[in-house]
Amino acid sequence: MTNAAAEQLRVHGIELEVLHRGKGRPTLVLHGFDTIDPAAPFLDLLGRYGEIIAPSSPGFGNSPRPKDFDTVYDLVHLYLAALDALPGDKVTLIGFSFGGWLAAEVAAACSHRLDKLILVDPLGIKVSDRETPDILDVFNRSPDEVRRKSWHDPDRFAPDYNAMSDEALVVQARNREALCLYAWHPYMYNAQLPRWLGRIKVPTLLAWGASDGVVTPDYGRAYSRLIPGSRFALIERAGHHPEIEQAEVFVERVAAFLEE
Amino acid sequence: MHAWYHCENVYPFVPQEVLDRAESVRASLPNKYCDPKIAADLFAECLDEHLLCEELGVNVVSIEHHSGINSLYGASPMILGILARQTRKVRILSLGTLITIRPDPVRVAEEYATADVISRGRLEIGFVKSGDSEMVSGNANPVGYVERFWEAIDLIQKTLTSHEGPFSWEGKHFTHRHVNIWPPPYQRPHPPMWAATGDPETSAELGRRGMINALVLRGPEASKRAFDSYRDARREAGLPAPGTDRFAYAALCYVGETDEEGLRVGSKTLWFLNTSLKQSPQMSKFLPGRMPPEVAAQNYRTVPRPGSQATLRPGQSLIGITAEQAIARGILCAGNPDTVYKQMMDIYEKVGGFGHFIFIGRSGFLDHREAEKGIRLLAKEVLPRLPAATPTPAAEPARAAE
Repeated sequence: MTNAAAEQLRVHGIELEVLHRGKGRPTLVLHGFDTIDPAAPFLDLLGRYGEIIAPSSPGFGNSPRPKDFDTVYDLVHLYLAALDALPGDKVTLIGFSFGGWLAAEVAAACSHRLDKLILVDPLGIKVSDRETPDILDVFNRSPDEVRRKSWHDPDRFAPDYNAMSDEALVVQARNREALCLYAWHPYMYNAQLPRWLGRIKVPTLLAWGASDGVVTPDYGRAYSRLIPGSRFALIERAGHHPEIEQAEVFVERVAAFLEE
Repeated sequence: MHAWYHCENVYPFVPQEVLDRAESVRASLPNKYCDPKIAADLFAECLDEHLLCEELGVNVVSIEHHSGINSLYGASPMILGILARQTRKVRILSLGTLITIRPDPVRVAEEYATADVISRGRLEIGFVKSGDSEMVSGNANPVGYVERFWEAIDLIQKTLTSHEGPFSWEGKHFTHRHVNIWPPPYQRPHPPMWAATGDPETSAELGRRGMINALVLRGPEASKRAFDSYRDARREAGLPAPGTDRFAYAALCYVGETDEEGLRVGSKTLWFLNTSLKQSPQMSKFLPGRMPPEVAAQNYRTVPRPGSQATLRPGQSLIGITAEQAIARGILCAGNPDTVYKQMMDIYEKVGGFGHFIFIGRSGFLDHREAEKGIRLLAKEVLPRLPAATPTPAAEPARAAE
């Protein structure tokens, strides 16, 4: 199951596939619905500002999933343990989408270990009334709708499955299965999280794709209001993945925030 | 041979253009297309068919499907309750309440025990793992459903067999701190248990547990594979070889007076395969957890790679089938009594025997009058000729206790 070329990270006895880039301040990066493509341009760009440590969560990518490791609670404690294990006083934490939810949970529990927090189109909270879903149901809605709402320019950026290798497609299927296991119910949020977001005491940036139809910018603004002093930055011409559709603009925003 | 009448109580009266336009005829088709007055007539007809079975000595099956044209029997325990009271002699198989989408197996056990008591011990309990779209309509996580399936069965069995006051269950998927149902089941230790499954791993576990293995619309090859797996698992566990009473085969089936009538009317049941199986991709090939990622991966391709094969769920491979193909694949038995007898015995030989034949005798636009005629002919002209089920010896107590 493990890809020989990928590096491994061991946290609390759990083996994780991990991507490394750059040097400097430790920067833990938590992926979203899909693991991060090692060829994604934003990775190298981000590596100019610190040491990027981007693990694949258990069950995602080529990371095995230990038996009975199957809840968001497990993931949050895994990454709390990762913070304990990383060197240095402080760690920068970046989370995309589903990983943004995990990052928000980790930051609420352990913000004294962080210097900065960056949430990119994060999930994890419930904002609207009980009959209005905030988060696009990527399991129950049609693949066409999910594709359309995930990208500003789907024809250019959405994955072309026919062009992918068998190995990459297996990773795709593993990612979808793992995401479903962790987040089917309640669907991609923790009803208790808003109460605790106020515990986040580090400078926080919420970066949001202006065209995101998975979680809208309004959801992002509501999220931002729950984190004291956080900043909200809209990235134009990007959907749920501004780090992919606008890699340079995205990294510029992040860099400016990190250098403040 | 024990015969079981299985009626899906389908709702075929949705305009074809609506069905053609819909991405799925299950889970997401608006219920405005289901006229409750027509539904009431259908319930009355189908329940009457079960009462005809009572007259003819044919056992009955109470099935469950959710939120679609393929069946109106969504609240299966209610139907079970009606059958338990309105029939007096025949056995009643629940096949079954969808335990993978029910949050509390103890409640399911309570419903089953009640139906067993009302029927004075005529209930048989069948477990099914749920169709793909039912994970969606049932709000149930499709990942890990097999593990949940077995834990639910364990908890239901424990609930039905515990009589000395409350016990506590703190399992992985279900917790219930105070289990003590009233009434307990009529049959002891508990009603016979079945499961409908075609995958060899599940069949092997059924073998070890001694449960009846039903194969629904899988054809003789897949059924034989499952039954062989069942037999092998018992042999490896040192358990007595199963009789045919552990095996059930389910097919669409219609007996007419002539081959022409049997085939013409029986072909109508193919609506179930050709119209009512349409499910959206997110509720079928992209639904996680239903096949290993290594297999599911190829479903992402719209253009298959040379040499690779997208893998369909068993039901999906039946869409578009003709009557001749369905008969050749053992999915449909149709014709005059002699023809149906020959078709059934051909399947019987191919799979190594089965003691239960579940016949899906009404589906699609096959109407009530036709259904009743088919049931009568099957009961009178075919069933008496079929081989008797052979019993499975009880395990030696020492062995069973291990």
